[in-house]
Amino acid sequence: MRNRHPERLLLSALMSAATLAGAAPAIAEETPLPLDPQFSVILDGVYYDDSIDGSGDAMLGETAGIFAAHGHEEEDDHAVHEHGLEQGFNLRHTEAVVTGGIDALFDARLNIAISDEGDITVEEAYVASTGLPAGLRVKAGKFYSGIGYHNEKHPHSWDFVDQNIAYRTLLGIHGLADTGLQLTWLPAWDHYTLFGIEAFQGDDNERLGTEAEHGDDLPERDKAPRLWTAFAKWSPDLGYDHALQLGASAAFFRSHQEMHDHGEPEEHALDGDARLYGIDAVYKYDSGQAYGQGDWRVSGEYLWVKKDLEVAHHASTPGVIGEARDFREDGLYVQATYGIAPRWELGLRYDAVGFTNEKRGPRAAVDADFEESQRWTAAATWHLSETSRIRAQVAQVEGAFGDHREDYTQFYLQYQISLGAHGAHSF
Amino acid sequence: MLKRLLILLAALLPATGYAADLRVVATTYTMGAMASAVGGERIDLAVLAPPDRDAHFLQAKPSMMRDLRRADLVVAVGAELEAGWLPAAVKRAANPAIQPGQPGYFEAAGHVDLLDVGGTGTGHVHDTGNPHFNLDPRAMQALLPALAQRLGKLDPAGAADYQANATQAITRIEARLSDWQARTADAPGAVFHHADTRYLMDWLDLPTLGYLEPVPGVPPTARHIQELAESLEGRDGVIIHAPYYPERGPRKLAEALGWPVEQHYTEPQAPTLTAWIEMIDGWVDALAAGQ
Repeated sequence: MRNRHPERLLLSALMSAATLAGAAPAIAEETPLPLDPQFSVILDGVYYDDSIDGSGDAMLGETAGIFAAHGHEEEDDHAVHEHGLEQGFNLRHTEAVVTGGIDALFDARLNIAISDEGDITVEEAYVASTGLPAGLRVKAGKFYSGIGYHNEKHPHSWDFVDQNIAYRTLLGIHGLADTGLQLTWLPAWDHYTLFGIEAFQGDDNERLGTEAEHGDDLPERDKAPRLWTAFAKWSPDLGYDHALQLGASAAFFRSHQEMHDHGEPEEHALDGDARLYGIDAVYKYDSGQAYGQGDWRVSGEYLWVKKDLEVAHHASTPGVIGEARDFREDGLYVQATYGIAPRWELGLRYDAVGFTNEKRGPRAAVDADFEESQRWTAAATWHLSETSRIRAQVAQVEGAFGDHREDYTQFYLQYQISLGAHGAHSF
Repeated sequence: MLKRLLILLAALLPATGYAADLRVVATTYTMGAMASAVGGERIDLAVLAPPDRDAHFLQAKPSMMRDLRRADLVVAVGAELEAGWLPAAVKRAANPAIQPGQPGYFEAAGHVDLLDVGGTGTGHVHDTGNPHFNLDPRAMQALLPALAQRLGKLDPAGAADYQANATQAITRIEARLSDWQARTADAPGAVFHHADTRYLMDWLDLPTLGYLEPVPGVPPTARHIQELAESLEGRDGVIIHAPYYPERGPRKLAEALGWPVEQHYTEPQAPTLTAWIEMIDGWVDALAAGQ
């Protein structure tokens, strides 16, 4: 980025856009504005077990590869962030959601997650414009990034109990959520086409754009925004029964640091940048039958990450400081659900990481190749009503962890209940 | 680069401002029928919800946002019928003219005397009133002038045409009322699948003998069907349901009671007043079949 203050440019662009929005027509008296905020609460409980004494879900966050070697100090700061399910009964985050229009120009959403111990995290808190012309929208605050397809989905709208391992390994269990600004443009074209760019603080990421702490050896991180993303989505018009959306996204983390402080080699820290590219596709079929019978939802994504780092600190061999370390890893998921009977849905998912899974340096001794991990998941969901569902899920994992492989079976039983207004869901 | 992108965006602004016909997006085929009856040749019409399925359970699809992005007016039913998808689609359409509160956003429910305001206490989607007035001629007659007024506000040059069209549509409906009422005068009432016929039965002053759904939104259970059969034993009636609902429940009840089963959509199969009148004709015939 050659411009030293891209955020200022973006801000001034947003301000002039807001001024333009002031020219929007006056409020008509006939239709009252929906000013009343809507509240809803989602309760989510899971019984979990597996064939390796219940440690299998936590292990999915540690599959072999370029993300497995971190220190984990970072994660303890986010007490509410769940790090996998424990054997037995789990109360997952209780989601509390408030949404509403503020005036003719903005609406807002607050999504908080309450852990089983009462800790509160803000998952999303943003205002979004509704008054800009020319198909422009601005979102400000903390929100789920618009990259990919699955990233913006809250756990209560997932088709399976848990996050796919591509997202979980490359972005973190909650995907990419951060504080910043989003600008999207929906041109008035014959086919739905959406372009978006985002600038984020880059402080709140689980896997990419992290900060390591190690005295003065590590350089100061770049000024925020440290995370930039861009995405595009396109959807042809296939009539009432079919819908297809294709997307591509990229994320650039200007400042990524990581600490390697257990195992071989000895403690060292890396500093540099990271980027992520992804493509996604989703297809939905509406059979026209009642209660979801005969409906299909099929989606898939491929994510590819590259980290270009340098050794910034090394406990035992200061001579390697300044050496390059390049990491690459990818992941994908493909999943489908089918409405087999009124209110009953079957789902099948394949998710995998590490087809590309390597570390490269200037000397052969540094190079490493890691193995891939994959999983097959089947789920049956019973939608008792519009507001409650029960889901049973089994998965077979073929995982690579550190220097060994492990195959195991996972079992999940879940309920999800929503109280209060059910808000509208996006595609 | 960003600067260049913004200049490009600014250059595209006037391109979206060209005015041809008024672009109207209706959420359902009934709303489309009323919009086309009033708008006539002056509007381009798109309808978001297909006529052969339940408008509750749609999703905010990209093609809806494509239509809404270019719309001058949205004609919605309101009363939370479209709560599961329209707010998300309208928001994401990034069109300031059609946001709730703007003249480009029209909710029919605001111009109709709603039944069941305050909710039925059964966990159904609606507590702002029952939104299924699409089968009620009185409701159509009430909303047509309001729609004409709104269209006239957005397109003053056509205001007189819209008023004339609305008056004509009201007259066309009025001309059928006494026939519809006469044909159903001795009808014994009906069992329906879902509580979307409230207004129809209220208008014709006929009894609703039961619903196949034990609770709105929950599929019929064997036990509920059996209870219905027991309580209606010895009475005359007819079972009417939309073709997209499962046929097993109605068939079992019909066998138990010896009643006819009729299938009818609750939306006209074309967005025209003629199709809407044909639909009411069909429902009137179905109700009369119970005699």
